Amino acid sequence: MLEQLKFENCNHSRDPIVSCALEGVASVIAGIQDVSIVIHSPQGCAATVAAAYDAHETDFTKRKVACTRLFESDIIMGASEKLMDLIRQADKSFGASVLFIVGTCSADIIGENLEGICAEMQPEINAKLIPVTAGGFRGNSYEGMEMGLAALLPIIRKHETKKEKTVNLIAPQANLNPTWFADFHWVREVLGKLGVEVQTVFSHDTSMAQIEAAGAASGNLLLSHDTGHGFVQKLEKTHGIPLLLGDLPLPVGVKNTSRWIRALGEQFGAQEAAEKLVEEGEGQVLDVLRRRALMLIPRYRNCKVVLSADGTIGLGLVRMVFEELEMIPELLLFRSALTPAAREILERELDDLGLKTKVAFAVDGYQIKKAVNEVQADAMIGSSWEKYIAEEAGIKIAFDLLSPSNREVYVDRPYFGYEGALNILEVFANDWERAFRSKAIDPALCD
Amino acid sequence: MADISENVVFHGKLSELYRLAKEGKITTKLQGSHTRPCKFWTAMKILSGIRNAIVIAHGPSGCAYGVKAAYKLTNSRNSGSPYESVVSTNVDMKRIVYGGEKELKGAILEVDQKYTPDLIVVATSCATGIIGDNVDAVVDGLKDQLHAQTLIIHCEGFAGEYRSGFDLVFKELVKLMEAPNPEEQARLADAVNIVGGKMGPERTEVDTDVKELMRLVEGMGARVHSVIAGNCTMEELRTAASVAVNCTLCLDIGYVIGREMLSVHGTPLNSTILPYGIAATEKWILEAARYLKKEEEAKALMAREYEAIRVEFEEAKSHLVGKTAIVEGHDAVKSLSIAHMLEHDFGMRAIIFNFHPWDTGARETSIDYLLETGIDPEILITKGTLAFGKYESMQQTEEELLKFLGGIDTSSVVYFGSSLSFPSIPLVDLNAILNRPRFGYRGALKVAQCINKALNYSFRPRSWLSKKMVFPKKAGLASASSLTPKLSQDLPDCTVYAGRRRGRCLNS
Repeated sequence: MLEQLKFENCNHSRDPIVSCALEGVASVIAGIQDVSIVIHSPQGCAATVAAAYDAHETDFTKRKVACTRLFESDIIMGASEKLMDLIRQADKSFGASVLFIVGTCSADIIGENLEGICAEMQPEINAKLIPVTAGGFRGNSYEGMEMGLAALLPIIRKHETKKEKTVNLIAPQANLNPTWFADFHWVREVLGKLGVEVQTVFSHDTSMAQIEAAGAASGNLLLSHDTGHGFVQKLEKTHGIPLLLGDLPLPVGVKNTSRWIRALGEQFGAQEAAEKLVEEGEGQVLDVLRRRALMLIPRYRNCKVVLSADGTIGLGLVRMVFEELEMIPELLLFRSALTPAAREILERELDDLGLKTKVAFAVDGYQIKKAVNEVQADAMIGSSWEKYIAEEAGIKIAFDLLSPSNREVYVDRPYFGYEGALNILEVFANDWERAFRSKAIDPALCD
Repeated sequence: MADISENVVFHGKLSELYRLAKEGKITTKLQGSHTRPCKFWTAMKILSGIRNAIVIAHGPSGCAYGVKAAYKLTNSRNSGSPYESVVSTNVDMKRIVYGGEKELKGAILEVDQKYTPDLIVVATSCATGIIGDNVDAVVDGLKDQLHAQTLIIHCEGFAGEYRSGFDLVFKELVKLMEAPNPEEQARLADAVNIVGGKMGPERTEVDTDVKELMRLVEGMGARVHSVIAGNCTMEELRTAASVAVNCTLCLDIGYVIGREMLSVHGTPLNSTILPYGIAATEKWILEAARYLKKEEEAKALMAREYEAIRVEFEEAKSHLVGKTAIVEGHDAVKSLSIAHMLEHDFGMRAIIFNFHPWDTGARETSIDYLLETGIDPEILITKGTLAFGKYESMQQTEEELLKFLGGIDTSSVVYFGSSLSFPSIPLVDLNAILNRPRFGYRGALKVAQCINKALNYSFRPRSWLSKKMVFPKKAGLASASSLTPKLSQDLPDCTVYAGRRRGRCLNS
């Protein structure tokens, strides 16, 4: 049983560190090629949709977004006609194969009938119209991703015969690695080396044809511990595609990576190839650390650390920091509620490691601050937000590892896999050294 | 310069453009790629500049999250602020159906206890605006139970154009101010407010424009009471109306609070164009000094400041008199101020390039002021200005600019604009962080130095690498292709928006 932190004065007020359902929905759509979005909303919501495109680093010229820009009279009188006009305009000017019609808080509350409008207009519109109701009040961005994924379900065709050794990759973007693309590519690379083909990615640079064909996959790999669980359950139920490796932490840290690769090898009868990858990967990590990071042992041993992360990266970090770095995880703070399966994994991991670390899920900024102020910790792992909170709490070391980060990363760097473990350790090492550099010495006194 | 008449939408004086816009003879519609945040966002930008204030965004969490990520995180990253919260009542489906007043009441009480702020601001969002929560009644009913003062901002995203959020908050802030009294007026007789600031504290490692204005104020033996709303405290706001004079930082948005304080409390207002260059700076100083009763000190200050830059400034100026300056017009008020500086201080001919006709409405106050004071710069608008894309890095405007410049002698024209543009003439980017401060005498010198550097190194071709980044092959209409998330926060989005012909703001 997990020991969960309790917070006072948090029943009615939240200091959110996760966006709303609209951004989650948009982040699924932004990962699909040649589609456009018509947002039925006031103009500010377009910034939330833009943030989802930013997360995919979608080229400016490929963002096909239109917004009805609702004002007071639209709210009072309704704006169906305005929406219909914009759908026609977007269809004509974007020329995309699919138009997602997304209703945000305002359209959702005033009861704009998106499904009815899409059904009525479909005969005159070239693009396929897909309505999605995405009022921000329907949940946070992780829940919004589930809503966005659910909107794709009707598009997936039934395939009675499955293609062997093929998988769908689900929710790669629900990952706080600032360059999560590298984690996604690492997974594809490993799958390739094990002879497994990627059928469909939900979603990043994915075509509509690939989404339609997703039903042919023989397995689903969920690349997030924070979202997508509902979607994989529905895929299993409606398309008979099982979730694979659903009981393991994602491949963050050396041991987690080896476990994950071996499980994958076993799943697809590629044990030998998996063993080879593990041997090479562990060898690479040891070789680099022996040559460049021997100080890692005295530096981190018994350093009490607060971990504040998403489940995707954070869950794997628990074993990595405790077992491989000999740190002591003092608190585990997760941005999402974690998927039900991920909570079970976390419980098993803590049991296995013999830890009774206190945990909090779906934390907000205040709760992180409060929790951090009430423990004695030497270091904090998180994003730049946690870095500022740590500074204020007097915690000397803050590892600025996750999004939003102040670290400029030009070349994509994975956190998954062996190289990913080295990348994480490199961030730790640099932030550690900077934290301990003296700042008060007057250079004039050093002459 | 080359004939580009087929690409020109307008070429003439600002006053003529203004007249045509008012008569509906030139399109003032802003294309999707240039549109702005909603009223909620702009309101939050100003509110982010009040210290120890907590904003409760009454609505779903996304609105609070978005502004926090954009403004508060920037405050922390750039200005060293501690982690700052923006609170949401996190209204969900149930509250949408049954109302969110209970959540709001609970949130206000919780925030008062857990943050002990000086001020709690309740900002409404679209969702709670539509369901009709009686925010005023909830807040009024709690006032006696709270340690913090309260302020209500009705800033639903659908309730106005983007800048209405700035204006609304600045007007509402005046409600937190006490009427001037003789005791406070005596205490603050040597003090000014700088009004029109936003977001938070100044960067400590950068010679910012605000810091330069503060230095000038202090240089005439006066002091700055408060920068509103640039990291101001509630105590500063409380007594703000008793200062000798309000001086605008930005003529455009500072004017609103200045006018309101003048109207409600009689606080004098010193409102000039942005103090770029010596002429505008002297006007700013002398007007402030008049109310501070420090005219002599001001004259001494101006003499000292000018003497400190004189040799280098005059040397630079001697190379610039008679030359032409093309000033990029996408930041309307700034471009007008820069044009004013180049004409008055450097004796140059300034042409504002691609000043969007939409700005004639959005910046009406500033333009009225400029025209009344005899400032009527030359404006050139080409077709690209009205096309979809980014001002700073658009293939079409770039080509039009190059064509306009034609086979011009590169030593006779200087371009003032973004370095994301690649004209074939020396370029001065006053937004570059190394080119601060831009205000005051030191700013004038900085500008002169920038122009000299641009001219001296005009033999160096612009970076082929940067140019290819901004203008990739086959980019089509728009460019600036690969935006990192950080950069994209600073640039306009590229959404296509529906026209205003059906929807409108009831208060507009």
